[in-house]
Amino acid sequence: MELKYGFISADDHVQEHPEVWTGRMSKAKWGDRIPHVERQADGTERWMVDGQKVDLPGVALAGAAMPDRAQEPQRWEEVPGIAYKPGERLTAMDVDGVDYSVLYPSVAGRAGETFGRLTDAALELACVQAYNDWLIEEWAAVSPRFIPQCIVPLAPIEATVNEIKRAVAKGHRGVVMPSVPMMLREVPHINEAVYDPVWATCQELDVPLCFHSGASRDFQFPPYAGFSPEIAAAMEAITRPVSTVLVVANFLYSKILDRFPRLKVVFAETSLAWGAYELELADHQFERQRLQSEGYEVSPSVLFKRQCHLVGWYDSTGLKTRHHIGLNNLLWSTNFPQATSTWPESQQTIARCFEGIPENERRQVLVDNAARLYKVGRAN
Amino acid sequence: MKIQYGLISCDSHAQLHKDAWTSRMSKAKFGDNIPQIRETTDKAHMIRASDKPVERWFVHGKVVGERGTVNCPTVMNDPERKTFPQRWEEVPSLVYDPVERLKALDRDGVDGEVLFPNDPVQSSTFFQGDAEFELACVRAYNDGLAEWREVSDRYVPLAILPYLSGVEAAAEEARRAVKKGHRGITMLAEPSRTRPGLKHFNDTWWDPLWATCQDLGVPIHWHSGAGLRLAIPRWKGYTPNQGQAMGPAGNFSTQAQFIPNLIFSGVLDRFPKLKWVCAETGVGWVNYILETCDHEWERRHLWTQGILTRPSELFKRQIYVDFWYERAGIELRHLIGMDNIMWESDFPHSTSTYPESRQFVERTLKGVPENERKQLLYGNAMRVYGLA
Repeated sequence: MELKYGFISADDHVQEHPEVWTGRMSKAKWGDRIPHVERQADGTERWMVDGQKVDLPGVALAGAAMPDRAQEPQRWEEVPGIAYKPGERLTAMDVDGVDYSVLYPSVAGRAGETFGRLTDAALELACVQAYNDWLIEEWAAVSPRFIPQCIVPLAPIEATVNEIKRAVAKGHRGVVMPSVPMMLREVPHINEAVYDPVWATCQELDVPLCFHSGASRDFQFPPYAGFSPEIAAAMEAITRPVSTVLVVANFLYSKILDRFPRLKVVFAETSLAWGAYELELADHQFERQRLQSEGYEVSPSVLFKRQCHLVGWYDSTGLKTRHHIGLNNLLWSTNFPQATSTWPESQQTIARCFEGIPENERRQVLVDNAARLYKVGRAN
Repeated sequence: MKIQYGLISCDSHAQLHKDAWTSRMSKAKFGDNIPQIRETTDKAHMIRASDKPVERWFVHGKVVGERGTVNCPTVMNDPERKTFPQRWEEVPSLVYDPVERLKALDRDGVDGEVLFPNDPVQSSTFFQGDAEFELACVRAYNDGLAEWREVSDRYVPLAILPYLSGVEAAAEEARRAVKKGHRGITMLAEPSRTRPGLKHFNDTWWDPLWATCQDLGVPIHWHSGAGLRLAIPRWKGYTPNQGQAMGPAGNFSTQAQFIPNLIFSGVLDRFPKLKWVCAETGVGWVNYILETCDHEWERRHLWTQGILTRPSELFKRQIYVDFWYERAGIELRHLIGMDNIMWESDFPHSTSTYPESRQFVERTLKGVPENERKQLLYGNAMRVYGLA
């Protein structure tokens, strides 16, 4: 592992370009159902898949790289190269002082949820495989500074497991899965034992399972219709990370972590600010509801510290509670190129947020935890 | 209020007597629709099925609360806190009798309590019937609870509001209730999401109500999810206690989403002296609101969008939150605002610190200087509710 800046960004987003899927999927077989960019009547462009518009505020998620952060690109020609060209991205990382970047999708869903909404499992798998192949071929192959993570089909479970094995064999270092598959289409609740082979596979392959915030809008407070688009976008950026509270609480009580004690879980784009409270609350409720007598081996906070991680990018107060959350359980990111990103001032943000924190602890959050999880600098 | 123990609970729940509505509402007009307790053998009315008949609250003929007759597991002498009374006669009188209840306060070392509703007043609403029925139920509740204040000034009652008769009627009920002794109102966080047809919280349609409360000098309260429930589907494999353990996480995720809406709504700018108390919040995540709202405000230059005051300043000026068991949040108290944090016991709900509130306080506030302890445990409450 080569470190020039001392920072592994644990949550950034690639921008898929218009040929990712059309260049890899059979036109004869799938026709216009293939994810592609389409011109709208008003002249703007949108991603379409299987006849449906992909839920994005523009044709890309690149607010931080735009001249005005509040404006997402509405036509592909407006998308800055640093969003979708890996070569330019490396330069953007140098500008911001980032050594390695862990990659989440954009069009495929911030949380990898887009194709989970498809009802045709064969189409879902084809879209997922094209993304996973593309990320290795066009990003990971360019530089070891990119840490690729695969997305997964939600069903059938054999397909999920097989795709994880295939993708990890190709070089993917993490598994991005929507935290609420049952809110995307008719599939079992995530707590059901039917998913156990997925957890077992991630545990066996020693790749982190990554739940990024925003897997569904249905547990986010919708912005008021009277808000300007700028305030509405800010409200979504505020409600999205903290909606993950529900996902974490469910996961801590679900006994999945009891059953798979070596499974590593990352909750991405969460902020660190509410982590200490979530753990105290989970323990308090565990005790008040007397769950010791309901077959749990350890308390929720112990499970969390053993297996879970939160990702911050601007919050200094979360770091003040770092020992409550667990120093091993914290990751940092730039969230590039989303509008909320600290780019290109991430180093200043880090200096402000980590002020007064001992060097070894700082390194743990900025480098060591992510390096350990993603085996950075080590052969797969 | 005389301070003897140095502890005011800013979130407790008053259970009105089973006759509170039947004795105050017109039988001729409302008949059996009046909120009352009735016997039922329908297993759909029981979370834990029983062959014995149970008693449940019925409002406008609809059952409210399938767990038991009254939500008071803290006082059922069950160390597992799984027991809810299934008949009115099983409900300990200290839950609904304001004279008996003073003994419970003394036992727990609590000087006074701010009173939110208990059964069958869910989300502070009576939406089961029409506007006339709603208003009659609301008035009966507010009248019944106001009598507690006549028993003792250790009770700080909060009024509920009618929603279906227009905003002037809501403002009028607030005025009437405050005259009777209520010290604030408690309401829905976003009415249009709870009841389609009502105006969105951000709509200036509500301004007369905000103006009335500002003029009266009484805070507006949002208790817990305040009628909103942002949730992921509950797993059917959970036991009732596992499900209950999950509940409060949903509440704070919901609060952490609707308080930023309050901050960006413009209401606090239009009514700069209006206080907003968010109860059963906890404080250890409130730093999230402050940092994330400020971060997005800065990143996106939201002052160009009419949000002129820095979000964290608006919060410190007008919003209050509660804590009851946590430690990490207390370490962040100066970041959140020493003037903005109050203590609560949540008596008699399952998460309550009763009857060990003193022990919880000692554990939570270990190392906190005496003057700050006083401020958090009762000083801020006395100021916010004018109890001096």
